[in-house]
Amino acid sequence: MNPTQELLSNPSHEVSDNLKTEEMVINMGPHHPATHGVLRLKLKLDGEYVREAVPVIGYLHRAIEKQGEQRNYFNYQVDIDRVDYLAGMHNNEAFSIAIEKLAGIEIPERAKYIRVICSELNRISSHLLWIGTCLIDMGAMMGFPFYPFRERDRILNFLEEISGQRMMFNFIRIGGVQRDPSAEWLKNVREFAANEFPSRAREYEAIATENPIFIGRMKGIGFLPPSVALDHNITGPSLRASGVNLDLRKTADYSVYSKFDFEVPTATDSDCYARYLCRVREMYQSAKIIVQAIDALPEGPISGKKILPGFKPPKGESYGAVESARGNLGVYVVSDGTSSPYRVRWHSPSFNAVSALPYMLTKGGPGETNLRISDVMACIASIDFIMPDVDR
Amino acid sequence: MSQNPIEEKNASKNTFKKIAEGFSHIAIGMGTVAMQSTRDPVSTTYPDEMPTLYPTSRHRLALNVNPLTGEHLCIACKQCEKVCPDQCITVIPDPTAKGKVQEFYIDQGLCMFCGLCTEVCPTDCIINTVDFEMSDYSREALVYDIKKLTLKRDESEFYFQFKGLDLPKVKVSPVAKAEAKVEV
Repeated sequence: MNPTQELLSNPSHEVSDNLKTEEMVINMGPHHPATHGVLRLKLKLDGEYVREAVPVIGYLHRAIEKQGEQRNYFNYQVDIDRVDYLAGMHNNEAFSIAIEKLAGIEIPERAKYIRVICSELNRISSHLLWIGTCLIDMGAMMGFPFYPFRERDRILNFLEEISGQRMMFNFIRIGGVQRDPSAEWLKNVREFAANEFPSRAREYEAIATENPIFIGRMKGIGFLPPSVALDHNITGPSLRASGVNLDLRKTADYSVYSKFDFEVPTATDSDCYARYLCRVREMYQSAKIIVQAIDALPEGPISGKKILPGFKPPKGESYGAVESARGNLGVYVVSDGTSSPYRVRWHSPSFNAVSALPYMLTKGGPGETNLRISDVMACIASIDFIMPDVDR
Repeated sequence: MSQNPIEEKNASKNTFKKIAEGFSHIAIGMGTVAMQSTRDPVSTTYPDEMPTLYPTSRHRLALNVNPLTGEHLCIACKQCEKVCPDQCITVIPDPTAKGKVQEFYIDQGLCMFCGLCTEVCPTDCIINTVDFEMSDYSREALVYDIKKLTLKRDESEFYFQFKGLDLPKVKVSPVAKAEAKVEV
């Protein structure tokens, strides 16, 4: 009996001792097209199965925190859009909240509403880009992944009209916002959020949500139990997909969110598909908030105190946190009374998301089993991290 | 670990029903994609068709002249030079005349179009234009001097109108003021 016959006659399909197998180390990235930037994953593979995964970060480090110490408060505002460039409004808002707490600046009601409108627009645009890239990772290259970009382009046009640029907005400033939106802009955004966007979003759902191939790729893998998610300090839609209802818009109430009627979508499956559902449902809620905010927009000034380059907050420290598109984004500022911060520290949700990857890849299968290499892409796509936010 | 409600629901159905459902969902998806072909394309063919830019759009920096008199608006106060986060602006005031600028350099290759200089300018001299086509063959060519930066009078007129800026006040020199007093 030759070895092949021996193998075929073995009913349990176990690898015989004659066949030499060994674990293999594969570097996925830093220039793999599906790692959303420059993430390097050192994977130890046993055949198809991932036995060990080590994320290597730092390829996009730009010393955003150190630059905060070099620049004054006014100049530093233009840098912080770059922390998470897909959701720059949230970065701006977090920093502004921290400095406003420190200096005791009251911001007008109208500015708060405009901040809500712009932040929610940015949240939708970020999630839309995520849907596109997630579907590309899942192999849906039939042209559909670019459909979300159709609506994203509309949103970026709105944001460009009000702030001046498409991604580096620098719109939410310390003490208020930069510019008062025109009545026409508000009308267009309301029309978009109330009618156009929900109908278009239903199209993506018709294509992807119930698609058996998509479900086959996403369902039942990448489990992140609530206890593990909390241990890794995962926040945002990824945490809510594990059944933990934590949303700073509801719990911290840092803006005027308590005045709006919206739900925080949660799921209990805690797998990749649940995370997809949470994000998709969150977009409808964001559109709902925008419509309510525009309807209730009060009149008044847009900026409480004009911040000039020589702005000096008092000595002290403060922490500002917002619910960004990816989770709990915080900034901690220490001031020594001069015109530039003594220390700036960014707490970014993506960093925590990447820290959970080893667990997801090695224990994320049903019953804490290993995942296969084809599921690695689904896990990376579903937790929605962005590398500039990880490295800062 | 497999306590997924959908999975349990699917397990109870028979295989044919599952296959039929799968096909119907794929058909719905394909139909949605096919529907897009009936709509107008949303992509723009850029070099033939210029994108819509707004008065707030931040692109190439330029210096305004007074659209009424053609006089250069820069007063060499160096506010933009101080505020620039990249330190890409260099202002050299005229040593002979106060409030006049002799030379003005902007390294457009270093500029990140944050627009802070335009916010602090007291005379609306430095502005972001809507021109974004400024690629060049060398880095040195991207350092613009005052000749390259200063807009023509009709261009300035356009930007004052487009951005809704207040027209600059006509400056009356002290000599002319004194003469006017004498006449009265």
